[in-house]
Amino acid sequence: MHIDWFVFFAQVVNFLILAFLLKFFLYGRITKAMDEREAKIAATYDEAQTMKTHAREALESYDHKLRDIQEKGDAMMQKAASDADVHRKELMSKAREEVDQIRLRWQETVAREKTSFLNHLRQRAGREVYAAASRVLKDLANEDMEKSIMALFIQMVKSMDDKEAAMIRDAVRQSATGVIVQSAFDIPADVRSELNQIIRSYGAAQDAVQYETMPEIVSGIELRTDGYKLAWSLNDYLETLEDSFSHALQEEAKEKA
Amino acid sequence: MEIMTIDMISPDQVIFWQWKFITINATLIYTWLIMAILVVGSWLVTRNLSKDIRFSRWQNFLEVVVGGIRNEINEASHGCGDKYLPFIGTLFLFICLSNLLAIVPGYVAPTSSLTTTAALAVSVFFAVPIFGISSQGVGEYFKEYFRPTFIFFPFHVMGELSRTLALAVRLFGNIMSHEKVIAILLAVTPLFFPIVMQALGLLIGLIQAYIFSILAMVYIASATQAHEEKEETETNKA
Repeated sequence: MHIDWFVFFAQVVNFLILAFLLKFFLYGRITKAMDEREAKIAATYDEAQTMKTHAREALESYDHKLRDIQEKGDAMMQKAASDADVHRKELMSKAREEVDQIRLRWQETVAREKTSFLNHLRQRAGREVYAAASRVLKDLANEDMEKSIMALFIQMVKSMDDKEAAMIRDAVRQSATGVIVQSAFDIPADVRSELNQIIRSYGAAQDAVQYETMPEIVSGIELRTDGYKLAWSLNDYLETLEDSFSHALQEEAKEKA
Repeated sequence: MEIMTIDMISPDQVIFWQWKFITINATLIYTWLIMAILVVGSWLVTRNLSKDIRFSRWQNFLEVVVGGIRNEINEASHGCGDKYLPFIGTLFLFICLSNLLAIVPGYVAPTSSLTTTAALAVSVFFAVPIFGISSQGVGEYFKEYFRPTFIFFPFHVMGELSRTLALAVRLFGNIMSHEKVIAILLAVTPLFFPIVMQALGLLIGLIQAYIFSILAMVYIASATQAHEEKEETETNKA
């Protein structure tokens, strides 16, 4: 076994050439690509870390803002609820007042209507009482009763005090139309003469007395001159009764109201 | 098909052309073939390198190979991988490809020639002081030969020579002997058994390439380490 020195040196040179070529074509390029890729990955990783940090900061910031918004929202909701409560109470109070006023008005209206109805009822009752009394008295009235009434009337005229007698006298004298005697039935002649006598005693002329028959009087007799009336009739009593009854009922209604 | 007869020890003996002392034999031819494969393959793959996350499978393969070599060198040299990568990496790739191609019929590994292994060993022999001197300086480097005392100088020299010889002979002996074993087995039992031995040959070829290059790295690292250790100590003190 020998060593060919030419081949030996050729192999050394071959090896050096190969090392040079591989350094240029292989190691340099590959290591450069690897290093650049590593640097790129590291840069990407750093960037990702930075972005992660920023994202975390942003998240914390948004969390903080969200908490603030929630707190503000809660506070606003509480305030709104409180305001709404106050407003509700105000509205309730206002509504209550309005209801009270309406009720008051209603009560007043009801009371008024009640009073009006009662008044109307009372007036009607009075009228009915008056009508019933009038009808009863009309049924009961007759000439005998009329005579008694006329006697009573003559007695009443005779027994008048001086003041009233003076008033009648003045009225009779000043009357231009004379004296009118009204009755429900015809007055008998004897009563007429007695009445003429009495009236003339008050200063009336002989023919100044006129006699009229008026069924509305029901029963009784009335003496009329200008501005003066002297009567004793059921109609008169009934009118007085109606006025008194109506007056009494109104007074009572006023007291109740 | 075989260009070597069974009685030929080295591909140096297969001479294609000769003029005076210039000899073109099988060793040189197959060396140039390997060189062509390595250089052209590297050029084809690295002409369109991607620096992005997506890249080709061939680029991935070369990155795995180069990255692996760089990591090994970094471990042995304490982080100076890129400085020794062209030398150590070329040693490994050349020897590895030279050995692995032995499964191709008609191919003879240049590393089965003592001339090639001696040339590679001598390259290492000269690379050690070159890297050592570039790292430590001439004086500092040669002082190592006289440590602990000048008496050790001949032993250091003998050590240098003997390890260079060992490098050359170890690689040559392993590859040559394996090729001879395969050739003899083919003659004796041509079925099945040679295939197993071929597979074993791939493993041996890979291991030998690794041993040769890692030993070279260790020698270079030992020559430069004293200086680097001193630098590290000064850096730590600072």
